[in-house]
Amino acid sequence: MNERLAAVYAEEWPRCVAILTRVLGDLERAEDAVQDAFTIAIERWPQTGVPDNPGAWIVTTARNRAIDRIRREHVLADKTALLARLESLPSEPAEVSALPDERLALLFTCCHPALAVDVQIALTLREVGGLTTPEIAAAFLVPEQTMSQRLVRAKRKIRTAGIPFRVPADAMLPDRLAAALRVIYLVFNEGYATSSGGELVRRDLCSEAIRLAKLLCILMPDEPEAFGLLALMLLQDSRRDARLSADGELVLLADQDRGLWDTRAIDEGLRMLERAEALRRPGPYQLQAAIAAGHAQGSDPATLAAAYEALLRLDGSPVTRLNHAVAVALAGDVERGLSLLEAIPGLAGYRHFHSARADLLRRLGRTEEARDAYLQALQLTEDGPEQRFLDRRLGETAGGAPQ
Amino acid sequence: MKYAMLVYSDQSSWEGISEEEGARLRAESMPRWIALFEELGKADPNVQGRELAGASAAKVVRVVDGQTIVTDGPFAETKEQLGGVFVTELPDLDEAIRLAALVPAAEYGTLEIRPLATR
Repeated sequence: MNERLAAVYAEEWPRCVAILTRVLGDLERAEDAVQDAFTIAIERWPQTGVPDNPGAWIVTTARNRAIDRIRREHVLADKTALLARLESLPSEPAEVSALPDERLALLFTCCHPALAVDVQIALTLREVGGLTTPEIAAAFLVPEQTMSQRLVRAKRKIRTAGIPFRVPADAMLPDRLAAALRVIYLVFNEGYATSSGGELVRRDLCSEAIRLAKLLCILMPDEPEAFGLLALMLLQDSRRDARLSADGELVLLADQDRGLWDTRAIDEGLRMLERAEALRRPGPYQLQAAIAAGHAQGSDPATLAAAYEALLRLDGSPVTRLNHAVAVALAGDVERGLSLLEAIPGLAGYRHFHSARADLLRRLGRTEEARDAYLQALQLTEDGPEQRFLDRRLGETAGGAPQ
Repeated sequence: MKYAMLVYSDQSSWEGISEEEGARLRAESMPRWIALFEELGKADPNVQGRELAGASAAKVVRVVDGQTIVTDGPFAETKEQLGGVFVTELPDLDEAIRLAALVPAAEYGTLEIRPLATR
């Protein structure tokens, strides 16, 4: 029962909160009502069994609870209007399925640029992902109290700043969609490669990001970048079992056991990439997915370097330039790769910049400089597999001959 | 929701130029200001908007230990100074952002959107 209830919660929470937010015009009130309904469900369902359509049951129960709550409130300016709107919601679960799906509006509210990015991430996981506050706190290694306060403040800010509950108008949509995609990808990256915490891949966050991207693809089936991001994450995630050795050490792509790659995830990623490309509007996520697909299918290094070059034309960010420089080096021209890399400004505090530079210097036999670069990378890396990997490389470099 | 839109810009660039050049620049941006007021008027017929005189005319007043102290110039030591204020009632923040982006000064200065307190 508990497992079933947890599954219903994660699945139905966003849909129910979205419907109630539409009616109440306020996320915090909506959440309170839906939380009340789940509390009743936890008491009742063990006796009555889970209803046929649990989401519809939650919506009607939340509606009734919200009506009770609002009737009891004495000072509420638009009490009558709120009650009228609530009463317009169906009182029978059977009629709930006719209500429009409001989850896309909910996603755009949670990813609004007036909220700080870490708040966007937490709020999206809470409301659109249906994760509980303790789950999110655990994933981001902060005390539950801290996360709870962060979420409360976010909901208040949505109200006081007048952040709208709707899909943005066409003129704003490209920027807002990019912001939402970024939030989802940040959730994935937080799970995939974190510099804190012992476990290199926090799988729940990766799976959650993939689930969010799938939802976005269902809600916006004509957005190639949504499919591009989904493809990218599926392809990256397909390698997670190969990324760490049996004793928990980091394994580079070139040294990974391909037998450990998840072929179903790769196939799904390739299918999603095809869907994205069929819409014929390329973008940075699609190109990154194409690169990840190239890795998965064993494309030669020169093809991959060319793909990075195409990406660079769309996205000239320092991190893309770094990846391009490394790809050029891996394609055979280590000298050129290194000079491209060293021309990138603003990455002095980015550990991957120093570890990549160290690796290229090592390949060129410039061991003294490679040593210094490994030390710089280590200073920026916390305890964990990545640190141990750099330590090993540093030891090998100190030993003299490049590999 | 009621919003104040505060227009900040670097007014020092206006100080070094001749009166004719100033008039020419104002005339040049005039069609866009007119278009802005049309849009604002459509969104909120009761919109209020005022341009402030140059920050060089500003006085700063403080009361310290019961003594009124008046000094010259704007308080903040930032390059950008408050140059105008709009107060308008709009459905939501996105509408305020859309309209703020139409203010010509947004291209060479900063628009700050602040909801008015409701209590």
